[in-house]
Amino acid sequence: MNYPHWQLAIPGGMLIALVAVLHVFVSHFAVGGGFFLVVTENLARRQKDAALLDYCRRHSKFFALLTLVFGAISGVGIWFTIGLVSPEATSSLIHTFVWAWAIEWVFFFVEIAAAIIYANTWESLSAGDHQIVGWIYFVAAWMSLFVINGILTFMLTPGRWIETQNFWDGLFNPTFLPSLVARTAVSVILAGIFGYITLPKQEGREKVARWAALWMMVGALVLPLSLWWYFAKIPRFSQLYLNGVLTGVRHAVRGGVGFTLLALVVALVCGVWKPRWMRAPVVAVLVICGLGMIGAGEYLREFVRKPWVINQVIYANDLRAAQVEPLQTGGVSHSANFLLTDDTSGLEYGKNLFQLQCASCHAAGGYRGMKRRVDGWDADFAADILQHIHMLRGTMPPYAGDENDRKALGQYLASLNPEWKFTITDENRLEIGEKVFASRCGHCHTVNGNFRPLRGAFEKQTPSQVQEMFPVLSGMSSNMPMFNAPEDQAQALAFYISHEANKPMAQKQAPADMPTGSTHSRLMRPVHPRQEVR
Amino acid sequence: MQTIPIPHVDPLPLPGPVWLFTALLLVVFTLHVVAMNSALGGGIWTLWNYLRGRNSEHPYSRRLANELARMLPTFLAFTVTLGVAALLFVQVLYGNFLYTSSILIGSLWLAVIPLVMVAYYGFYYFSYTAEKGKGPGGCVLALSVCVLLGIAFIFVNNMTLMLSPGRWLAMYRAHPNGWNLNLGDHSLIPRYLHIVNGAIALFSAILAQLGMRKMKTDAQYGRWIVQRSALVFAGCTGLQFLLGMWLLLAIPREIAMVLLRDPLAGAVFGVALIAVISAMLLILIGSLAEKPSPLVHAGFAMSLVTLFLMVCLRYLLRVAYLKPYVNLGALAVRPQTGVIVIFLLLFVGGLATVGYMLWLVAKSKKAHVTVNATF
Repeated sequence: MNYPHWQLAIPGGMLIALVAVLHVFVSHFAVGGGFFLVVTENLARRQKDAALLDYCRRHSKFFALLTLVFGAISGVGIWFTIGLVSPEATSSLIHTFVWAWAIEWVFFFVEIAAAIIYANTWESLSAGDHQIVGWIYFVAAWMSLFVINGILTFMLTPGRWIETQNFWDGLFNPTFLPSLVARTAVSVILAGIFGYITLPKQEGREKVARWAALWMMVGALVLPLSLWWYFAKIPRFSQLYLNGVLTGVRHAVRGGVGFTLLALVVALVCGVWKPRWMRAPVVAVLVICGLGMIGAGEYLREFVRKPWVINQVIYANDLRAAQVEPLQTGGVSHSANFLLTDDTSGLEYGKNLFQLQCASCHAAGGYRGMKRRVDGWDADFAADILQHIHMLRGTMPPYAGDENDRKALGQYLASLNPEWKFTITDENRLEIGEKVFASRCGHCHTVNGNFRPLRGAFEKQTPSQVQEMFPVLSGMSSNMPMFNAPEDQAQALAFYISHEANKPMAQKQAPADMPTGSTHSRLMRPVHPRQEVR
Repeated sequence: MQTIPIPHVDPLPLPGPVWLFTALLLVVFTLHVVAMNSALGGGIWTLWNYLRGRNSEHPYSRRLANELARMLPTFLAFTVTLGVAALLFVQVLYGNFLYTSSILIGSLWLAVIPLVMVAYYGFYYFSYTAEKGKGPGGCVLALSVCVLLGIAFIFVNNMTLMLSPGRWLAMYRAHPNGWNLNLGDHSLIPRYLHIVNGAIALFSAILAQLGMRKMKTDAQYGRWIVQRSALVFAGCTGLQFLLGMWLLLAIPREIAMVLLRDPLAGAVFGVALIAVISAMLLILIGSLAEKPSPLVHAGFAMSLVTLFLMVCLRYLLRVAYLKPYVNLGALAVRPQTGVIVIFLLLFVGGLATVGYMLWLVAKSKKAHVTVNATF
């Protein structure tokens, strides 16, 4: 509201993720790889192993080219991107942690200088001095991670900072240490993976292959322990996301574990057992596994924070929690600085509101696209359900706008799909009923599942009895939107619900908590952790 | 009349006094400009000498291009590193202006990132291949230089746009996808040319220092560098006066008047003029002699003084532009004193560490230590 919204073809969050994953991949290598280099150099010099030393020299050039250019510049890229996509959150972080960033910058400065000197002075510096530079590099790089880790973890677990607004409370927050250990472990794994890229072709090949595998194993031993520790420290709503309630999260967890295990197996087979198998395609698989591991980790780290970007302070759509109520009473048009239209009643305004409040995570189509989510909605239903948007999932922030805003946005959401026209027959009644259910009810309910199941309410009811309840549902609970589907759809829906609710059930499943990241959605009814929600 | 939309300042207080952020901003930005001028001006110098050196009649040009080629990646590394710090401190003070203007040119602003990578890898490629003199090295270097010129243009667009909130809403409505340029601003072109020309000028002064050092080992070659760079420095500095005047005339009259009436700005401007004229005279006189004298060093020092004063003037110009919209003195401040002290200590420690590493390098060069993969 405060800033103009940068219109992108993809959700802004996705752009941040893209830049961040690539940066994190290389920047963690920049930490672990520095450690790997100086330890390996020391080993080579102690064992007087010329081939290993030559490997270090070549690896340091590759290391400098990748980390100094791509690693460093993509880090600036994250900063540029978050400033463009979430200026409010960026400003808040800057005001809280500018000195942490300044400290991190000092380490970054030392790190860059040390990396350049280290990579270019193999022939000129004495063995001892060269290793000193290597150690300076590693300490500076790890300290840079140390500081940034504090800022990143603050976003999910601000801890006591919420009450004190004290810098140290924010930096050394509850997940600071476990995350630091996990990131260090990831750095060590990546040092091993990237170590294969410059693997000697002849002499020293086996030794380096086994040495790099050892690094991966050590990192992989520490990583699960640190992640378990991290899991214990994150908020309850985040833990529930990770329990596998949501499809995307489940895939990411499986992907992350799968990529890591695959990398370890490849390292054991082609690194330790048969080093001669460690050819370019195998190394490429390892690098892809490393990227997959980082991608999954970053996806989960971002996801478990939803609906927040800074927990309890700023929502994922860059809206401050404190702004929500004023916007609900006063309306967006009175507060937003950069609206694209002066007419605050039409479709254009609705589209603009969508960009302001939804486009950081959603586009009209594609990944997390709204088109399929709102299929079957009319403008009135859309406007009404927006009031309850934070109730659908714990991942959604509350809608911040007045009635006029909701109507305009509802109009826009309804315009994304053509109006439904059905000819309902006995053959297609159940199918259409299911479709109407998915559109009108399925965002919050299942019939027989464990996500707010309706079976209890409609068991042993005939279709006409079910349909009689539709008009009064919104009066039964303030969390229910109105029901205004056309008569034929209502009939099909009632038929479907009655049919499903009266099906024999094999076993009743125990309910569990549902993630409720938004403080506004703590009233959610329990569901089973295995319940799939799309 | 529509009101000018300005995003509210952050509700959190400033974590340090305004004067400290301002001082740090001015210092790190000056250092950033020195590095940037080395990368951009150095890139232009290298390209010119590389092209000239392809003719066997100009062996010094060839040699100079090869020597500069090895330095270019480092220049760019420090341009970015120091630029990050400047961007950090300017965000604290003027975040609501900078974020907005960045979003308005968002697509181009983000393009800076891949563009820097292209220029950077181009510099590395050239540094590895320059000595061979074969292959597409020259084209790659030319591409890197063009990309840097493009990045400078995007930066000047953003830095001028953040000063002009009156243009924001119309520009946003025209292209909300971030494909905007601040071309309607009359000061854009002179400011851009002033910066590019200044980069060539300052790097010429830096190059003159390199030439003075080279004279110790190869007098003729060193003198050639000093005299050439002094002439370019003088020429560019002369041109800089004209561009500066154009810039001053292109700034809206009321803002130019605020600047001219401000005694501090007047003093800075006056001293900068004296400094730049003395820099020009010192470098010219010092270099024209048969044996260039240390006056060249003094001239370089004066050009650094000029640069710092111009950076201060640039800051005062920003203050004048934003005077109707922001009063930094009125912002709430809650200094994080302990962290500030730690930062300052680490800053000194960091500089000392870099100094120590450079000392190790210098020491090894003096001792002619050749380890050459021995243990």
